Amino acid sequence: MSKKKTSTATYIKTAILGAVTITSYYLLLSNQALVTEYFIKGGYYAALPIGTALYFSFVHGAFASNVLGILGITPKGSSH
Amino acid sequence: MKRLMLTVMAVLVMLLVAAPQAFAAGAPPSNAKKGTFTSVDMESRTAVFQAVDADEPVTLKLGDSITRDDVKLDKRVMVSLSDAGGKEVVTEISVMFIGLTMGKLIALLIVGFVGGLLSGFIGSGGAFVLTPSMMSLGAPGAVAVASNMAHKFPKAMVGTYKRFRYGQVDVRLGLVMAVSSILGVQLGIKVQKMILNTWGSVGSDLYVSFVFVVILVVVGGFVLKDAITGGSGAEGDEKERKLAKAMQKIKIPPMIHFKKADVRLSMWVTVPIGFATGLLAATIAVGGFIGVPGMIYLVGASAIVASATELLVAFVMGFWGSIQWALSGLVDIRLTLLILAASLFGVQLGAIGTTYVKDHTIKLVMAAVMLIVAVSRGVLIPVYLDELGVMAISPGLAGVLDSISFWALITALATAGVIISSAMIKGIIQSRVEEREAAAAAGGV
Repeated sequence: MSKKKTSTATYIKTAILGAVTITSYYLLLSNQALVTEYFIKGGYYAALPIGTALYFSFVHGAFASNVLGILGITPKGSSH
Repeated sequence: MKRLMLTVMAVLVMLLVAAPQAFAAGAPPSNAKKGTFTSVDMESRTAVFQAVDADEPVTLKLGDSITRDDVKLDKRVMVSLSDAGGKEVVTEISVMFIGLTMGKLIALLIVGFVGGLLSGFIGSGGAFVLTPSMMSLGAPGAVAVASNMAHKFPKAMVGTYKRFRYGQVDVRLGLVMAVSSILGVQLGIKVQKMILNTWGSVGSDLYVSFVFVVILVVVGGFVLKDAITGGSGAEGDEKERKLAKAMQKIKIPPMIHFKKADVRLSMWVTVPIGFATGLLAATIAVGGFIGVPGMIYLVGASAIVASATELLVAFVMGFWGSIQWALSGLVDIRLTLLILAASLFGVQLGAIGTTYVKDHTIKLVMAAVMLIVAVSRGVLIPVYLDELGVMAISPGLAGVLDSISFWALITALATAGVIISSAMIKGIIQSRVEEREAAAAAGGV
């Protein structure tokens, strides 16, 4: 049995996740002054770094997972 | 299911009680202030400082060690203050946010990737090299610890999710370990503070390095021996499990059944193991180096289940730790996200890798990393002894030892990267060949 073919939907999903990830990183790195101003205020502002870390782990984590899948790097027993 | 829900709820309640004092890598410094210098007067050795959490600027006295170049105007800095005769004196100034050049960016990405790979594979790793790496790029120590912590919990979360899907995580064991570890961390921090107050920061460094080296050599040596003897036959494996069997014989209620680990243990055995893990984690800052071997040799879980469960422990501990550090506003989110960017790939790749290897490969990687990291810390002991005045070494030798220490860390990462990738590639190729053969056999019938 050959390797399962990646569906078009997976490619589209990966592309969207990739675009969202890149845009998010771009927004963050192009607004460094703003980010460093508010993220270190402490107190209630602590939600900013925690929330951002969680947001990136979901978006970028899902993107990374899809990319590895497309590259054929999948756990044992799932390639057929 | 109902019992599992009750366990989870009990764990959450205990966490809420323990959380306010829970710092998985020591407490954020209380004598540090963040803000900006607006003017400086070197004649009177004072500077006007606007703190981020204050309305009005204050005039601070500069300590003897502070030079004009140290006082960077209009830049966000972190100052360490000491209380001298009722007046606060600035003893150290560090720029909070390092400028990110392309070189630093790439360095962070590479270290983040390998750290993630290691974490996904053996359940921990990364912190021992990420924090010093960020510091060598110029980030203040507290910011490096905070930024690493904030990247650790989302990474561990993704890793736990992946390995949970592969059926490797023992949720109940992970939660019990995490809570008892957090309690252990409290005592660990108290011991650390006592040593710091008695022998100062060099004494504390020496103590940490000593404990670090002894534990890593003993535990790492034990794991290595098991990986070598246990890999060739069941005999070695059986011998190493003696300890776990003895633990399982203790039948003081309440007994907890750990389904994935496939053991039934008394709570009076499990909680002390977690507590000891936390106690040591607070000292050596790499809890997984104790937690994973603890779950293998004392609880009796397989290396695959132990390393996967450690990710859950890392997530719970990292999450609470991050909240504490974020509350004190020390997380440099740019550093956090840069390491996270690469480590999210690494951690998933490492997790996939575990499905292709046997227990023995995980033990081998773990032992190799632990022993090499022990070298990196061990070579610095003469430097600390020199600073304490116990022995004298030349500045040249101190520099050489420093660079040996740094390169040992890089070697540890590279070794782990090579073993994991080659085991994984071998596993994938073998699995594809087997699938093809099976398909050919099925087609031929």
